Amino acid sequence: MTYGPSSGQLVRPPEHHHDEPYVPVFTGARRDELDTILSRYPTKMAALLPALWMVQDTYGWVSEPAVEEVASVLDLTPAYVKGVLSFYTMYHQHPVGKHFVQVCTTTPCNVCGAEDVVKAFLEHTGCGELGVTSPDNRFTVIEVECLGACGFATPVMINNEFIESVTPERVARIVAEHD
Amino acid sequence: MSTATNDVKPEVKMVSVTIEGRTTSVPEGTTIIEAAKTVGVLIPHYCYHPGLPVAGVCRMCLVDVEKFPKLAPACATTVMEGQVVSVHSEKAREARKGVLEFLLINHPLDCPVCDQSGECELQDYTFQEGRAESRYEEPKRFNPVEDFGGDVLYVPNRCILCTRCVRFMGDVVEEPVLNVSERGDRAFIGKAEGHDLTDAWAGNVVDLCPVGALLSKDFLNKARAWELDRSASICTGCSQGCNVTVETRDNTVVRLKPRSNTAVNHFYLCEQGRLDYRWINRRDRLDQPKVRVDGEWRTVDWEDALDAAAAALAGKRVTVLASPNCSNETLFLAERMIARQGGSGVFRVMLGAEAPLRGVEDLSLRAERAANATGARLLGYADLAQGAPIVNANDVLLVLDDVLEGELPTALTGMMSSGAIVVHVGTTLPAVLEGRAQVALPTTNHTEEEGTFTNLRGRVQRFLQARTAPGLARPSWYVMSDLVERLGAGEGRYMASAVFDQLAATHASFAGLSYATLALRGLPVIDAAERDVLAPTVAV
Repeated sequence: MTYGPSSGQLVRPPEHHHDEPYVPVFTGARRDELDTILSRYPTKMAALLPALWMVQDTYGWVSEPAVEEVASVLDLTPAYVKGVLSFYTMYHQHPVGKHFVQVCTTTPCNVCGAEDVVKAFLEHTGCGELGVTSPDNRFTVIEVECLGACGFATPVMINNEFIESVTPERVARIVAEHD
Repeated sequence: MSTATNDVKPEVKMVSVTIEGRTTSVPEGTTIIEAAKTVGVLIPHYCYHPGLPVAGVCRMCLVDVEKFPKLAPACATTVMEGQVVSVHSEKAREARKGVLEFLLINHPLDCPVCDQSGECELQDYTFQEGRAESRYEEPKRFNPVEDFGGDVLYVPNRCILCTRCVRFMGDVVEEPVLNVSERGDRAFIGKAEGHDLTDAWAGNVVDLCPVGALLSKDFLNKARAWELDRSASICTGCSQGCNVTVETRDNTVVRLKPRSNTAVNHFYLCEQGRLDYRWINRRDRLDQPKVRVDGEWRTVDWEDALDAAAAALAGKRVTVLASPNCSNETLFLAERMIARQGGSGVFRVMLGAEAPLRGVEDLSLRAERAANATGARLLGYADLAQGAPIVNANDVLLVLDDVLEGELPTALTGMMSSGAIVVHVGTTLPAVLEGRAQVALPTTNHTEEEGTFTNLRGRVQRFLQARTAPGLARPSWYVMSDLVERLGAGEGRYMASAVFDQLAATHASFAGLSYATLALRGLPVIDAAERDVLAPTVAV
């Protein structure tokens, strides 16, 4: 089931890499890491969010085969995992660019010109549209709600990197720094 | 009310509440919605279902409780001593009106083409207490119809996200294959690709869905709910004896629905029972009495046919080969015949794989795929699988309904080739009897007559007539009654209830039971506890 683009939502890219064989995440060192996580919770089900994070950290998104894998290692059904996965917008159900750009457009930032920052990002990254991955697969830009840095409008998060006081003029350089 | 109080064990504390001006006493811990039912007040609700855990997500059952600052959800609020509940206060009605308006925001209002129309709770409550006109002007959300596998189709636009289906699959079937995907106004009921609703009990989500979001593919676009005639019946799919409602349109069975009975099937019916109904409508029925004269079948009237059958049976030992889907009444009259003339009775039951509904105690699609094998055992019939009776050439073989379908076991072919005269009483004339039977008497199937079945726990349950008999076919108990009468026993009875009364008077197990006491919920035979061993769980 698919939806049209709306704020904060990813747009399913035209090309899908479903044909490539899926390589399991939870093997070797990552399996040990998961076991450590599991030891902190009373049930396997409780470790679902961290397990999904591990998948996303590895592949950048959570694919259908990954859902199956998570379900099998945590003794859940794929439907249950999918329900949780789709509830949280910070998990990606489609591939995203190497650099995932989140621009705050909530009220204070909006007043300080966040809309122009978004426009500049869409232009310089080549994405063109919110939620769409750039043709070179480097960037995906979305709007997000408050990043908690209203005093330093406009804040931008690129993957785990936090950049404050971004203006449209700074965008070209920021994009160039992220190859 | 006083009797209800006396029935309850002393340690249960009773609480007195007043709902809509009617005072009732219910056990402590009862929810307001259940307490209201005891005084005949139905509180509008969607997500609540007595067979499922309480979710409290639909906000439809909001009621006004005296001294509560806010409205309370009746499904998740337990009663307290002296509580006064108003279901139809202006405040409560206004709140529910608001809930309905929200529920209808993305609803397509496509009642004219929706299968649920006429039996839809969204339609009913909107009519009852919703706004007459919509104030919503923005475009509505749209999602395509999805095939959930099994017999289930999902129409997300009509869904109100009550999550009954999700909870049923998770907590009752214990196989959570459905989820709530996404969130907020984007939410819908989802499933993982490749994991369909294939469980033997998954079809119940269609009945549980209060709106037209989950539909039966089998029933899709077949009939409007208000065109159907409904009769209480019992499923003949297995020995569980699930209570069903047979729904007919123009004398044709179009759907079977579970009928609630907490002593047997609660609210549920398995796929096998639900979808295996087309045989009821079959057209190639035996619909006229026939007698073979000089090797040729002749169609005759009932009098001649019964005379011929009685003449063949008179003074002979009789071996009754009965279908375990015959009613207690029919089997009883055949047993009377055996008692008078000597002989024996056997039944042949088909077996299949068990399929339990895990979340409900003692509810399963049973291995014995027939409704009344236990009844047959109680009335002295033996299972053919335990060995065939010896049939002499001088005996009469009385075949009661469809026992000769499919491949015949050697025990049966032995019986057939004994040279005994064969009298057939049944709904169809099986090919194997075409050149073998002497008399063929057409009978009705269980939806065309009334009677009782005994399920594997020894519970005797009534089924009522749902369609008219084809041609000249008569109820099998009536035909047997005529035969017994003609053989001089003076035991013929011409009402099913009278046959059952005679059965109850003759067999200790059935003592004290009658159609009046059985009603539509049934009662266990008097020694049901000991008789449990009569219905062994067969490992297949």
